[in-house]
Amino acid sequence: MPLAHGVGGTQDLPIPAFYAYAGGFAALLVSFLALGLLWPEPRYAGATAGRPLPRAVQRLAASPALRRSAAAAGLAAAAFVAGHLLLGPDDPARNPAPGAVYVLLWVGLVPASLLLGPVWRLLNPLRTLHALACRALGRDPSAGRPLPPWLGHRPAAAGLLAFTWLELAAPEPAATTALSAFLAAHAAVQLTGAALHGERWFAQCDPFEAYSALLARLSPVGRRPADGVLVLRSPLAGLDATPALPGLTAVLCVLLGSTAYDGFSAAPSWIDTLQTSSLGRTATATLGLLAAVALVAALYAACAAAVRLVSGRLAHPLSAFAHSLLPIALGYLVAHYFTLFVTEGPRTVTIASGTDNPPPADPLLSPGGLAALQVLAVVTGHVLGVVAAHDRAVRLFPAARAVAGQLPLLALMVCYTVGGLTLLLAA
Amino acid sequence: MSRRSLSPATRPAAVALLLAGVLVAAGCSRGDTHHEPGTGHEVATGSVPPATDVPDRGANGSDAGTTVEIAVRDGRVTPAPGRVEVGLGGRVVLLVTSDTADELHVHGYDESAHLPAGEPVELAFTADRAGVFDVETHGSGLVVTQLMVR
Repeated sequence: MPLAHGVGGTQDLPIPAFYAYAGGFAALLVSFLALGLLWPEPRYAGATAGRPLPRAVQRLAASPALRRSAAAAGLAAAAFVAGHLLLGPDDPARNPAPGAVYVLLWVGLVPASLLLGPVWRLLNPLRTLHALACRALGRDPSAGRPLPPWLGHRPAAAGLLAFTWLELAAPEPAATTALSAFLAAHAAVQLTGAALHGERWFAQCDPFEAYSALLARLSPVGRRPADGVLVLRSPLAGLDATPALPGLTAVLCVLLGSTAYDGFSAAPSWIDTLQTSSLGRTATATLGLLAAVALVAALYAACAAAVRLVSGRLAHPLSAFAHSLLPIALGYLVAHYFTLFVTEGPRTVTIASGTDNPPPADPLLSPGGLAALQVLAVVTGHVLGVVAAHDRAVRLFPAARAVAGQLPLLALMVCYTVGGLTLLLAA
Repeated sequence: MSRRSLSPATRPAAVALLLAGVLVAAGCSRGDTHHEPGTGHEVATGSVPPATDVPDRGANGSDAGTTVEIAVRDGRVTPAPGRVEVGLGGRVVLLVTSDTADELHVHGYDESAHLPAGEPVELAFTADRAGVFDVETHGSGLVVTQLMVR
């Protein structure tokens, strides 16, 4: 049985029913209030919104020294992980590599990107390797064939699905061989893509860059798309400027579905199903993960079809509202991975500094506080999603149709939120 | 007194275990291992009686334990994995029999015990961390039960 998340032993207690019902009720109430009370004119113009940061900060952020140090730090961290994967013991209690990948990278990118923007773009060791290789060959790193327009974030969605499969469904997610194989394949794919298409490949197609960049849409700090100036902005304005690339919906469905499967897979009934299935555990877990992603995607597709029906002529209902799923996915990520990050994050650092099998850190929050945080995260994600969808609806639809046009989206978000709360309650 | 509750599927088995346990508790004293809360664990192998659910562990007169008996046979766990609810600070006694030699491990607490083939093994510790914890066999890679400590 793969340990949930590859590392870590403490799972959260189910939230008390009161919290779940309070959260569900709050989500419903907000959704209906949104129809009547929110603004009738679009408010978020992500491309031009925000107040420029002081010039000193602008200079610092753009300074080659900062970029070089970040790239060097990313490369050093990658070398550290690779060294431990190749030479270290095959035991996550004594080897920091699994914790570094599953906790510090995967979960740590969430707070880092929310606070500082798309940090993985600066740290990404593969981007640095590509740049170094280009310099050695005397090539321009941006040279290469343009990416086909239909490609969008699709390779990133596939990469994220592969990574969450490794984490949640593979037989031994924390084994050094499994992690090495995954990371080697990941590096090979990304470096080939970059060799063919230039460094633009990374921003769009590297799963971790796309993940970090999407989360960074909700950061209060970011570059304004219109002029590239670093601004302080409303996270909702940043969200509004999310490029509606093909595959954005797929990325979000993978994030939502895999997090849902993570919650669901802790339930004893699912564990028993896995352990007694005639298909074998890995195949059953893979089917479960794919089914969770497919369910999330099918609900979204049904919703998009309903929006098209109501609105009449919207050309791309799928991608027009995909950004509003991002806060919902973020709420789930916080609810599911908070404990893992605060207990296993410091533990990984302790292992990395040479202490074998340190005791897990004490939990930061009491069970009640943790349940409150989880419900708050899910409901806040819901509220931000509703607001983002509303703002987009009043921009895209004529006033008379804006309320009707967002009804399917509200229904979808209520489904996701109630589903998420049910998972927190039951698993 | 710690509370315990099992999923509906395991409840009849638990009742049977409880009855058997009362008989065993009446017949022999197993309070000969002592444990200071929060320090390591003790493991007893060999002639442990095969069936228990004994709210005893009262050697020091304080907390009653939650005993869970589990058998692993042909890669199957009996009773099917469920959630055993344990009060925070309560004693947990796992009584596990595996048909193959294996290693029992309680995640989060990092308690473990060697399981010789066919011999019941007792693993006892104090549940002083809140949360849900998988109890696994590392060789066969099975989750045999989950402890829900709160």
